[in-house]
Parts: sequence; C-alpha cells; structure tokens
Amino acid sequence: MIKIPPYLKKGDTIGITCPAGYLEKEKVKACISTLQKWGFEVMVGKTLGSSSRNYFSGTDEQRLNELQAMLDDDSIKAVLCGRGGYGVGRIIDDIDFSNFKRKPKWIIGFSDITVLHSHLNSKLKIASLHAPMASAFNDGENEYIQSFHKALIGKKRKYTCIKHPLNKEGTATGELVGGNLALLTNLIGTSSDINTNKKILFIEDISEYIYSIDRMFYQLKRSGKLISLAGLIIGGFTEIKDTVRPFGKTVYEVINDIVKEYDYPVCFNFPVSHGKENYALKVGIQHQLKITSKIVSLSEL
Amino acid sequence: MKRKDFLSSIIPMGAVFSNIARGKLVLNDPDASSKIPPYLKKGDTVGICCVAGYITLEEVKPSVDKIKEWGFDIKLGDTIGKRDHTFGGTDQERLNDLQQMLNDTNIKAILCARGGYGSIRIIDKLNFTKFIAHPKWIIGFSDATVLHAHINRNFGIATIHSKMCNSFPDDWKTADADQVISIESIRKCFTGEKMEYSIPSSAKNKTGIGHGILIGGNLKTIETLADSVSDINTDGKILFVEDKDEYLYSIDRMFWNLKRSGKLDNLKGLIIGGFKTMKDDPGEEFGMTLEEIVLEKITDCNYPVCFDFPVGHQKNNMALKCGIIHKLAVSDAASTLTEIK
Repeated sequence: MIKIPPYLKKGDTIGITCPAGYLEKEKVKACISTLQKWGFEVMVGKTLGSSSRNYFSGTDEQRLNELQAMLDDDSIKAVLCGRGGYGVGRIIDDIDFSNFKRKPKWIIGFSDITVLHSHLNSKLKIASLHAPMASAFNDGENEYIQSFHKALIGKKRKYTCIKHPLNKEGTATGELVGGNLALLTNLIGTSSDINTNKKILFIEDISEYIYSIDRMFYQLKRSGKLISLAGLIIGGFTEIKDTVRPFGKTVYEVINDIVKEYDYPVCFNFPVSHGKENYALKVGIQHQLKITSKIVSLSEL
Repeated sequence: MKRKDFLSSIIPMGAVFSNIARGKLVLNDPDASSKIPPYLKKGDTVGICCVAGYITLEEVKPSVDKIKEWGFDIKLGDTIGKRDHTFGGTDQERLNDLQQMLNDTNIKAILCARGGYGSIRIIDKLNFTKFIAHPKWIIGFSDATVLHAHINRNFGIATIHSKMCNSFPDDWKTADADQVISIESIRKCFTGEKMEYSIPSSAKNKTGIGHGILIGGNLKTIETLADSVSDINTDGKILFVEDKDEYLYSIDRMFWNLKRSGKLDNLKGLIIGGFKTMKDDPGEEFGMTLEEIVLEKITDCNYPVCFDFPVGHQKNNMALKCGIIHKLAVSDAASTLTEIK
C-alpha cells in the first residue's frame, strides 16, 4: 500500500534544494515569490547558487547533507528540487530514509529527480510529485504551475489533452509511475528500479537521438516493463536529434512500433515534458486513464 | 539438531540450487571454460553481414581482399549494400541474413560488417539452435556487444570482440601501424593463436592478478541489456568496457548502473579501454576524470584495474576472445592480458 504524505496547508514550509546540477539564485526568485504568494514559507538550501565551480550544485556530500537535513526536518513539509541535470544517482544509496519513512513529505521535481520518484516508489512505497521545478516559475503562473499548487494542497486532479492519431483507445486504472526515459532505463537492474506491472506508466525525455529512444524502448520491452502495463502515457520528447543517416521515423512512430502489439491504451503527446507543458503528476497514486476518439483524460482516483 | 547447525547445513545447498536455477553454475565455475567454436583453417569460409548500420559493397572491399589474402573464402550476405534508412536492410532482411549464416555449416565465422545501431531489434527473433549444435565465431564490436553478451549469457559460446569491415584500410602501405596490428589480431584469434597483449602501465591502475572468463564490450550497450535475457553475469569474470561520444556525466551514470546492479562487486579484473568523451559544455564541467569516475565506484574492491587498454573505437583495437579464461596481470611496469584456455 502506498503512503500519501500530508498535503500542504497555508503556512507550511517548502524546502528548496539542488540534489543534482547547478542552479543560479536568480532563476529561483519567481519560484520563491510564487510559493510565498500561495501562502507557504520557503526555506532555501545552500546548494542553490552555491560557490560550486563545476557541473554540480555542490559536492556529493554537500548535496547529500542538504537533502538529508530537509528530509529529517519535521518543520519542512515538502522538498522541491531546484533543478534536475545529473547527480541524484550519485547520492541515492547514501540517503537515510528512516525518518522520512515514518514522516513522509512530498518530494517534488522531474528529469534527474526520476531517480527519487522511482526509489520512493519501489523501495519506500511513498507517493511523490512529478512536477515543474524552480526555473519553470519564470514563465509565469500558467496552468502547469497552477497544477503544481493544486496537487500540493490535495485537490484531486483531472487532466485532459487532445487526441493524437497514434493513440490506442481504452480505459485503464492503476497506480501512476514513470518519469524520464533515460533515467528509468539507467535504473534497470538496480534497487531503485520500478515495477510497472498493472500500472500506468508515463514517459518523457529531452535531447536524445531517435535511435537512442528506440534502443531505450527496446530495453524497457526486453526487461519486461511494457508487457503487463495497465496503460501508457507518452509525454513530450523535446529537442530530439537525428543521426547523419536519418533514422527514418519520428519518435512517436518509433515508440508506437514497439508498443502496438500490446492491448492496453496508449496516448501520445500528453503534457508532461521538459517543455512548458508539464502537469504535476502524483507518482504512486491510483489514476484512471481514459482515451477516446475525441479526448484523453487522466484522473486521480 | 540445534537450529543454528541446521541452518548452516542447508545454506550451502540453497546456494547451489539458486545457482542452478539461474543457470550460473557452469558459467561461474572458474575451471570450466566456455564452448570454443572450431578455429579456422585455410580455405574455410567467413561470412560478412550487416546486423546494424548499413555499409556499401565498396566499403567492405578492403576487408574482403585482406581476408582472401589470408587464405579464406568470403561469403557476402544479402545485407551488404542494402539500406533501410540508417540500417543495413530492414529488420527482417538483417535477421534473415544473420540467421542463414548462423545455420549454414559451411560458414565458419561471421564478421559483422559494422556497428551503428540495430542488433537489439533482431536478437530475440534469432534461432540459435543450429549455432549451439555447430558453434562458429561471431566477430565484431560496439553494437555487436549485444551478440557477445547474449551468446555468453545464454550459450556460453566464445566470440571475438574486434574491429569490423569498416576499419580495414584502403591502402595498407600508408595505414596506421596500430590499425594493421589490430586487424592482424583478428586473423590470429580465429585461427587459434593464444592471445597475449602487454601494455605499459598507467599510473592510475590498480595492481594485482586476476583469472576469469573475459567478457565485455561497449558500455552503453551493456547498460541497455540490464535485466534482459541478454544481460551479462560478471561474477568471477574479467570485464572490459569501452565507449565513445559520451559525456563524462553519462559515463558516470552508466558506471553507477554497473555498480548498483552488482556488476562490479565480484569481478576478477576490470579493463578500461578507449573512452573518447564529448567535451563538457562551457560552465558545465563535470569535474572528474574518467579514471576518477571508475575508481570511486570500486574503492571496496581488490581486483586489478587496467586503464588505456587497446580496445575501443580507435586505431588500436585488439581482438579479444570473449568467453574464454584469461589472466590479467597488472604491475607497476606493465599490464598483461593472457589467454589461458
């Protein structure tokens, strides 16, 4: 049974930390003021705009210690990851989740944060929030940022999107899991690997070659992750690259070719992505995916 | 019987059973080498086909000429010169070509024309029944790591990790010496010479001696096989890895996959080949070298580690017999990889 962390109330504190790549302080201003406007207190970690001179927001130890402190501090009700990039996989096995397991809180982010979502889902059975991170707040309070707020305060969410010619119609009910394709495949064989059996899987990625996406979907298939899904949600694949000798298919055609043998419903171009279109999704919580000839809807149950 | 005694008496049995159930027992036995296909004699036929990316007839000519000069016949597969976008023919065409060559007992070795991408799209449709009954040498690297891994894990049949047709020079007189030696090593491998490579030691090496079945290939491809039927079991083995055109962060992430999936725990040795990395984007410097990335993952391990081994996407890419027991000896002066049997 999945544990759902307490939803946030006005006056609760959200901690912001960077467990992966470096993030300038400038880029977090809009995020902080929006969270405050919503009535939350914000605690900002030192990894944000740190003195780090390389790719990361701090050393492994600094990133680990800050995330650990925010997990252990009972006055912090949610931990928002400032940005993704790369780095959670380097510290995941050193995080002590014992206090967090007793007193769960919302962990928020996407992309590299998929490592945390997967680990929480597979090892700790605690729900988490796959949602826009700090920089996304710079685009203004659009519906995706609003979805972040509504999800966090416990409103049951229902998202809809327009049909796509490759969609496979049907209705599926199951626990929602997923995230970034490169990370989901990188975790295969490790203790953070997710079980997708009878679940609704959502996937997005950025800046990958088409052949590489093909290879990663073969990996999902060959490791048994696609055969017994309840449903599949294909999000945005942004900034896609192709080889000098073109692959000859679009990303969605590539994915469709691999999953068309299965009977479960599949939708394409769902608004979960590295682009602006990125609804807050509650990983670990039961959802219903309904795909008709007219519309796609994903409802929290 | 006391409970403690009872438990200790059943634990070894349980361990044996779980090994059998997972098909590991034979492969893990350090005294048991895998099945070795018959070595080639003059007049034997080498088949050439495309399992992944496409290649033209003209591009395979230097390899055809050279292998004929060595005294072997060549059988060119239908996929040579075929093209389906980036692939050397459609999945079905590549599958059929390789399947025919696996089944044709007149063909004693199959040389993959080039890598690229594509083996994983056909591996599960291949029928290896005839190949298991009549093993032959499968030769290639990079994307062909799928074949090495799958064959090692499932059939325990030795294969050759080496350069492919697209690396044979047009003009041997002006060719790079390392390239010539690398290509010569393919012939030595499949005609049954015992292989031994010795290189000067790198300062970052970890010294020591290890014996085990040699296994490995392209790092990204190995990661892609995790938890599939082709996934390698590295316990008790000497693992070699190489890759190209990856960012350091990506290499780091792949080594975490190896570590976190237990592939680095029980090695007998680790060989790091060429890693032509992509330059970090300005302001996004990763801050660690390849050597640091590797060594931090294995601080608890005592097996020898050798860097800069001549295997990879480079001129000096020596032919290695996967699936055969080797000795890796790393000293302060030199690193030597020797085929044992």
